Amino acid sequence: MRFHVVKRDSWPLWKRALAYLAAVVAALIIGAVILLAIGVDPVDYYYQLFTMGTVGNRIAYKTYMNYIKEFLPLVLTSIALSLAFKMKFWNIGGEGQFIMGSISAGYIALKFGATLPVWLTLILMCVTAMIIAGLYGLLAGFLKVKFGTNETLMTLMMNYIALYVLYFIGETKSDWNLFLQETSSRPVFVNFSETVAFPTIKIGEKFELNICFILTLIIGVLIYIYLKHTKHGYEIGVIGDSAGTAKYAGMKVNKIVLRTVFLSAALIGLAAAFKVGTAGVLSTAITDDVGWTGIIVAWLAQLNTGMIFIVSALICVLQHGSTVAAATFAQVDSSFANMLQGIILFLVLAADFFIRFRLVRVKKGEKNNG
Amino acid sequence: MKKYIALFLAALMLLSFASCGGAENSGDTSNAGESESADKAEFKVGAIYINSKNDTAGYTFAHHNGITTAMKQLGLNTETQLFIVDEVPEDPEQVRAAVDTLVGKGVNIIFGISFGYIDALEAAAKEYPDVIFSHATGYKSNDTNFNNYFGRAYQARYLAGIAAGLKSLETGNNNVGYVAAYGTEYAETASGINGFALGVQAVNPDAKIYVKKLNAWADEINESAFAKELITSYNCGIISQHCDSAQPQIAAQDANIFGCGYNSDMTADAPKAHLTAAIWHWDVYYKTAMEAAMNCGTADKFVSTMGSPAYYGGLKENFVDVSPLSENCAAGTQSAIDQVRNIMVKGEWDVFSGAKLTITVTDGVATITKNDADLLDNAGNVIVAAGGASVEDSVITGTMNYYVAGVEEA
Repeated sequence: MRFHVVKRDSWPLWKRALAYLAAVVAALIIGAVILLAIGVDPVDYYYQLFTMGTVGNRIAYKTYMNYIKEFLPLVLTSIALSLAFKMKFWNIGGEGQFIMGSISAGYIALKFGATLPVWLTLILMCVTAMIIAGLYGLLAGFLKVKFGTNETLMTLMMNYIALYVLYFIGETKSDWNLFLQETSSRPVFVNFSETVAFPTIKIGEKFELNICFILTLIIGVLIYIYLKHTKHGYEIGVIGDSAGTAKYAGMKVNKIVLRTVFLSAALIGLAAAFKVGTAGVLSTAITDDVGWTGIIVAWLAQLNTGMIFIVSALICVLQHGSTVAAATFAQVDSSFANMLQGIILFLVLAADFFIRFRLVRVKKGEKNNG
Repeated sequence: MKKYIALFLAALMLLSFASCGGAENSGDTSNAGESESADKAEFKVGAIYINSKNDTAGYTFAHHNGITTAMKQLGLNTETQLFIVDEVPEDPEQVRAAVDTLVGKGVNIIFGISFGYIDALEAAAKEYPDVIFSHATGYKSNDTNFNNYFGRAYQARYLAGIAAGLKSLETGNNNVGYVAAYGTEYAETASGINGFALGVQAVNPDAKIYVKKLNAWADEINESAFAKELITSYNCGIISQHCDSAQPQIAAQDANIFGCGYNSDMTADAPKAHLTAAIWHWDVYYKTAMEAAMNCGTADKFVSTMGSPAYYGGLKENFVDVSPLSENCAAGTQSAIDQVRNIMVKGEWDVFSGAKLTITVTDGVATITKNDADLLDNAGNVIVAAGGASVEDSVITGTMNYYVAGVEEA
């Protein structure tokens, strides 16, 4: 038996949405089978997961606040990555750019936090993180444009350079190292949350909304407009479809690539500044893997800015909810979230394939022209 | 055909939503409220782990084993009364989120097992005064609901050192290798190396201890590679270790030499090489802490019930010990170790003091003599003058940052 892959006429939105939903449900069913096999009631488990344990929780507001803390860096990083991906520039270096942004933002906070007004420190943190992270990303873009290097490999390897720089800072006690506490004999990062922190808006009695939430929403809208309704956005789209066409149309492809890569990395730096300015402390796990998860989110959302918000929100429910659920059931550890996420991604991508293509059986005797 | 598939999927979805809705009532039992009465049946234990709770070996496993063992001894249900957030990196934000999750589950006490949780737990103890926080390997505390705990592992190391020393006399090879996570950077590793070295030297004064640092708490590949290097380049006849896996012991067995493990009895991993391992009985602390938490009434009385903001158990409390001696051990090892353990349990002598033990074995029976002597570091500085008291407190506060005489880095 042989099959041909044939391109489909495009499906209406509801049909596509249904296919994706079916993929997610199928993934959850596979997860349920695994849960059953290890003796966990899947209904209880998914209930804990999707409610994130907020039902009957005396500090449920904390859950929502922690959820937003996970959500913001992810959504902003993913939007930033989608900019580069739209141009078919495979920026796998979100982790590295995030780390570079975090170190820069942390440096500003520690160096000037005590003397400058808080609002000025925060702005400086954002700007510095954007510039440093942007330049770090630009380096890979420059090498690609100048020497034709593979940006996937470059950005990937630069992640590890950044990570080991962070490890070095985190483990090396020295006079120059203002990141570590002087009083501790073991290396511990300095906490500056008392002096520098993004303001929050109190909603209700206890819930506090971080200002970064509003800023991220605004940035999301701006990027949407940038991509859909500006010349820059149009250029990115054309290069993504065909760099040759763009060149033929008289676009300065290299310049556009560099500009967009810088913007992509700079936005990741901004995400890092938001994170550091909220946490008030660095750590070797500061990225929370957003550079990796952001890639998944961008793909699941098909690089659509609005969808990135929705997918990020759902992925964060999955991640945060899994932690809560894993805390409840002795047999399941936190890794279950990663596995479930993997199954969902795999099946959604499979659904994506079947939305675009269909398999046609080649009848016996029919000529194979494939 | 397509329509049927679509229908089937839609039905599946509906079903799954329905089942989610159905659970709404049954799941709502986790409402603990302000349960400070700490009734045994209502007592809830929380824990934050650096690795997976399903680990089958290593640091997290040792703690998990300790917590579950203690709970069983106290008649607590580890399925329903234990809540764990695992794989939490040393990131203050993620530690705080884990604390929030556990407090949301209504736990009475939270154990954090990794050093880097220190500041986050301190802040959490302030935020949740009705919950007890207990931090392994840390040095911060308050006088109400936040303590720290660790053990005098160097005492067990000293005993393992005696086994290694006697074996070195038997084989005639005075070179002892030590694969260590870190060296003088951490009091934890330095005190382990020094305790072991002093134990070896009590038997074999000519022994030299070569330390090879991993610069990581766990690194299986280098744990094996560094042990092999100590064996081939430094002609070591015994390999000791301060790292997670049994790789150094396996390397020792492959080279037909001997070794002392750490954390768990590694005789099964290297039956022909392993002598004995310095081990922890974490359940001893966890039982003590849980009992205190259940009996102290309110969380703010926890530290005063424990008697001290820092629990630092040793051989006396049976918190640390050596694993049962394997048949590879030299004659008289058991006799020597039993006698030395006895004087430490009684508090007559401790490892880092101005008194030195000399152990000799004749016909399988050990004789121990105690003489005052300076405790020297490997640069010749006097750490404790002859007759002076033990400096084990420098291990607690983390100031031990030297090697004793006879130790050098390879």
